[in-house]
Amino acid sequence: MTELFAERYPEQARLVRAALLTSFVALGVGALFGLLQALHRTDVLRIVESPTYYTVLTGHGVFLVVTFTIYFLVGLYQWAVTDSLDRGPVNPRITWVWYGLMTVGTVLTAITILAGFLDDPPEVLGSELSADVLFTFYAPLQGNPLFYVGLAVFVVGTWIAGADWFRTWWAWKGDNPGERIPLPTFMVLTTMIMWYLSSIGVAVAILAFLLPWSLGIVDSVNPSLTRTLFWYFGHAFVYFWLLPAYMLWYIVLPKLSGGRLFSDPLARVVFILFVVLSTPTGIHHQYLDPGIAEGFKFIVMTNTMFLLLPSLLTAFTVVASMEHGARQRGGEGTFGWLRTLPWRDPAFTGMALAGLVFAFGGFTGIVNAGMNINYLVHNSVWIPGHIHTQVGTAVALTFMAGGYWLVPQLTGNRLVGRQAALFQVVLWFVGIVFMTNSMYRAGLDGVPRRSAEPQYAFDYDISLGSMAELDAQLALGGVLLFISTILFLGIMALTWRNDGTEPVVDGRIPPALSGPEDAPRVIDDLRVWTALAVVLIVLAYTLPLVAVASRGGLFGPDITPLPVAVDYWLPVLADLVGASIG
Amino acid sequence: MGESELRRETGGDEPGLPREIGHDEFDPTGTLALITLYFLVLVAMWLFTYFIEFVDNDPTPMLLT
Amino acid sequence: MNIHAYERLWVAGSMVLIVGFIATITYGAVGLGITMVDDGEEPLAPDEIDEDERFGEPRVEEVGDDEYEVYVVSATFFFQPDPIEIPAESEVTFYVTSRDVIHSFTVVGTNTNTMVIPGEVSAMTVEFDEPGEYGIVCNEYCGAGHHDMEGELIVLDPEEFEERQEENDDDVDAIEVFDHRTATAGNGELP
Repeated sequence: MTELFAERYPEQARLVRAALLTSFVALGVGALFGLLQALHRTDVLRIVESPTYYTVLTGHGVFLVVTFTIYFLVGLYQWAVTDSLDRGPVNPRITWVWYGLMTVGTVLTAITILAGFLDDPPEVLGSELSADVLFTFYAPLQGNPLFYVGLAVFVVGTWIAGADWFRTWWAWKGDNPGERIPLPTFMVLTTMIMWYLSSIGVAVAILAFLLPWSLGIVDSVNPSLTRTLFWYFGHAFVYFWLLPAYMLWYIVLPKLSGGRLFSDPLARVVFILFVVLSTPTGIHHQYLDPGIAEGFKFIVMTNTMFLLLPSLLTAFTVVASMEHGARQRGGEGTFGWLRTLPWRDPAFTGMALAGLVFAFGGFTGIVNAGMNINYLVHNSVWIPGHIHTQVGTAVALTFMAGGYWLVPQLTGNRLVGRQAALFQVVLWFVGIVFMTNSMYRAGLDGVPRRSAEPQYAFDYDISLGSMAELDAQLALGGVLLFISTILFLGIMALTWRNDGTEPVVDGRIPPALSGPEDAPRVIDDLRVWTALAVVLIVLAYTLPLVAVASRGGLFGPDITPLPVAVDYWLPVLADLVGASIG
Repeated sequence: MGESELRRETGGDEPGLPREIGHDEFDPTGTLALITLYFLVLVAMWLFTYFIEFVDNDPTPMLLT
Repeated sequence: MNIHAYERLWVAGSMVLIVGFIATITYGAVGLGITMVDDGEEPLAPDEIDEDERFGEPRVEEVGDDEYEVYVVSATFFFQPDPIEIPAESEVTFYVTSRDVIHSFTVVGTNTNTMVIPGEVSAMTVEFDEPGEYGIVCNEYCGAGHHDMEGELIVLDPEEFEERQEENDDDVDAIEVFDHRTATAGNGELP
């Protein structure tokens, strides 16, 4: 019988292909915008006017960290659930419903962003059709209502996707009573629990405050409150990008190395730790915010530091799995085994380089997590340095490498240009080293992020090298990354159309060295971990949210008086928490 | 038993590998060495970033008397 | 659970790292006395800024022996006062608020860096050891002219600062009152 996913589940393969296609289109547009920024910021080439830079920046953020990453996630997770449970969804129409909703939302939001390029944008729903608000959309910056509507519809689409996967699992459980949840499905379900718990924050920010405000239904908002709600969601959001990459590292990378996953139980523990700790850490993005007590910031700092644990555990388990492959391939010595890994395989090399970059980016994340040291790096270009090593490489390069492995199985076609693909992943690595080296160093010297023209009346005091050299590295890195993206998209397009060929990869996933039977059963009891996560969120967020809401008022600094805010807020919070468990 | 599990049980290992190493005979010594290096690098970079880059980037908001 | 001995060792090493990082930050707070921008200031609504005793007239004020307070208002796309002149070797507290959107007040090349949120007041107490000139930037995107938002901080030798103060006191009548309403006009970002 065939092992090809495309032949076993043609309908599912079609959906996964559609999701990846949308993801890759967003990657292309986002990468083009990234190139424009790299050249504009460094004053190498300024094609757009500087105010339009922020339209480009909004598009770069939204298309890459929302569209590219999440479409890849839903595609990968649809594959993972179907393959590991060996069954399709209960109702395939629902699957297309969530894909459709996500796409409607994406199109609405994209229109509002891209309309920012028009000289004279039309009036829609009472305000100008544009949304130069960046992907953080901090009020009182205001986008067109359709921007918020699009985001909300998109998020609802992802919620239904999660429900769809839970439903498939429940059906499987009915047929397989007492069986352990297969690891890929376990990863999908835990990721989605984290997503449900955290995306409530952004949903409330949009539906209760920003959307009514942009429609003129309410006069003002409390900028601290919407910002705090955004970051309630925002840090778990970064793990929403990361966990699909983790899935590829745990499930696919050991196989590509020629070995087996070292420990299935620890992989489960890692995902549980993300469910529990991802959300009660968001305030670390607000270390330098006024109006939030230092005590809250300190509590969040300790939570954030403990969030290092799952990533440090992952480093060990994934490297040990690679070493197992290398030893089976005949590797010897303390470090000599590294040479026997399949470095000619673009899927392997891409993921391995992504992991290497992640190990360094992890360090910069520790700096960001450190409360008082945040004065040094907050909103300097160090932060996009961190973002580009983590989501821009650990995640993006892993997705691209995963694409080289997965797309042939989804299309039934052989990968075109294996050598070119190898070149592409290495080029990405080189590009990101140049770009982020510049960003990290410039950030430490105080160069700000998010600025179209970071050339001011004063001169930066550059501790090592010169500003010209840092700019050159950033621009060069941006160009290399753009070329790498185009190469990737070209290889994907040719593979997609490479009909009449047979893929050389197969989809078999070898069992873990230490399997799920080594893990206590409570690990698979998702209710326990959800409840624990809720408790931690309530502990970490109740007081800060009440404080922020009562200081400024629910709807702005001078509208809602203090007692009303507290009375109003607690039941709302309780309802939300209740809804998230139920 | 589902098909995927069957596949997994029968096709667990890559064909054509020189040897097959089970759980009990595998000690990831190379991983231990790499991760120890990583530990030391993290400590060194942290101390440098905190005590040189950060503390020397004064003035810093402080309790002054 | 069946966890390999090396992996147990790594879990222990990871905990050492985590506790070590938390300990370093705690040392910075308790040992070095680094304070975070926090909720110590009363909220201040943007439309109350003009009547406010501190921010109605953005300025540098001497409040004690070698103690100064600086009341800064940020708005799209400028800081007031600008330039800010302070003496070296004195305790200087910056109080910063925003008239419109979220900004930052960031003295480039130092750890004097805070978010500025409308409705809130950020406070930071610092001491510059040496005279010098610094750029101040807004590092949070605040609209189409964000990259034009900068100011200047001039740290003067304490004696020179005294002299400048006396000169200023002489021609206090000549100070022009800055009209923020004309300055913010044309900002397309606000509703």
